[in-house]
Amino acid sequence: MAYNLLKGKRGIITGALDESSIAWKVAEKAHEEGAQFVLTNAPIALRMGKINELAEKCGTEVIPADATSVEDIEKLYTEGMEKMGGKIDFVLHSIGMSPNVRKKKTYGDLNYDWFLKSIDISALSFHKMMQVGEKIGAFNDEASIVALTYIAAQRTFSHYSDMAQAKAVLESIARSYGERLGKTQKIRVNTISQSPTETTAGKGIKGFAEFLSFADMMSPLGNASADECADYTITLFSDLTKKVTMQNLYHDGGFSNTGFSDELVEKLSGK
Amino acid sequence: MSEIAQKVKKIIIDKLGVEESEVTPEASFTNDLGADSLDTVELIMEFEKEFNISIPDDQAESIATVGQAISYLEEHAG
Repeated sequence: MAYNLLKGKRGIITGALDESSIAWKVAEKAHEEGAQFVLTNAPIALRMGKINELAEKCGTEVIPADATSVEDIEKLYTEGMEKMGGKIDFVLHSIGMSPNVRKKKTYGDLNYDWFLKSIDISALSFHKMMQVGEKIGAFNDEASIVALTYIAAQRTFSHYSDMAQAKAVLESIARSYGERLGKTQKIRVNTISQSPTETTAGKGIKGFAEFLSFADMMSPLGNASADECADYTITLFSDLTKKVTMQNLYHDGGFSNTGFSDELVEKLSGK
Repeated sequence: MSEIAQKVKKIIIDKLGVEESEVTPEASFTNDLGADSLDTVELIMEFEKEFNISIPDDQAESIATVGQAISYLEEHAG
């Protein structure tokens, strides 16, 4: 059900690859809520996924951009604003990649060039999107900027490897840049810490199915789905959350505040 | 070994960080050389760049081993 929450707003949505992507769901819902937006992803993701299908469905276009490149981000904003006919009201950062995770490196055998790459792609890209946007004056006052993150930034989840550090940097950037943009333009910057979600990125992790079921047993409301994450994201882009900023917002069915659960006892006792 | 085959092997070694001895014609990118879905697409894009050709998706899907890559490129490149 749509409420026209984003009527008249213009945005940029990064990171949609296929129907399982959280960014894909955000785009579908933003469209339903009356927003105008452009989609972007890395050239390789355009080749891998079906983002053009999504663009067609939402009556928009894809502007390929490497989120580690300042020039690409400048081009993204300039072309995006031109296509939409005005400045940006919301940005979704849904970008992350770790070569160390992909290559199954243990935490005691990390490749440091790859470590830097993880942080560059997954965290510094968020700073770049804000710094470039601020410098070229791409944001409207009271815009809302959201990045997706994971609780491994606060607690250890061994399979998450160097992505834990990348997410910690990402969340810290949200606070520091949120302070700056809040003062100058009343722009809010938040991160959503989402339940583990079965996306193309998530599936790459070993033992992911077991982990999903563990997280579900540890969440009183159960794991939050990609669709539900998209709903929450839409509220943050809307005018109903104007004073929410510099927060890491858990969207995890209660996982982050649960110590242990009856479901887990049952599972462990084999009953 | 043809010049194309040498270039193909070099791309695979650089991209996947594997040893030259592992890059045999029968070696599968995903099963033997540790490539994930992103790597395989990156490889195809590297081949396209190096040989200045365009490999349609349906044909890219049939390139799963080192030998298949070499024969495809020997046929279509140059």
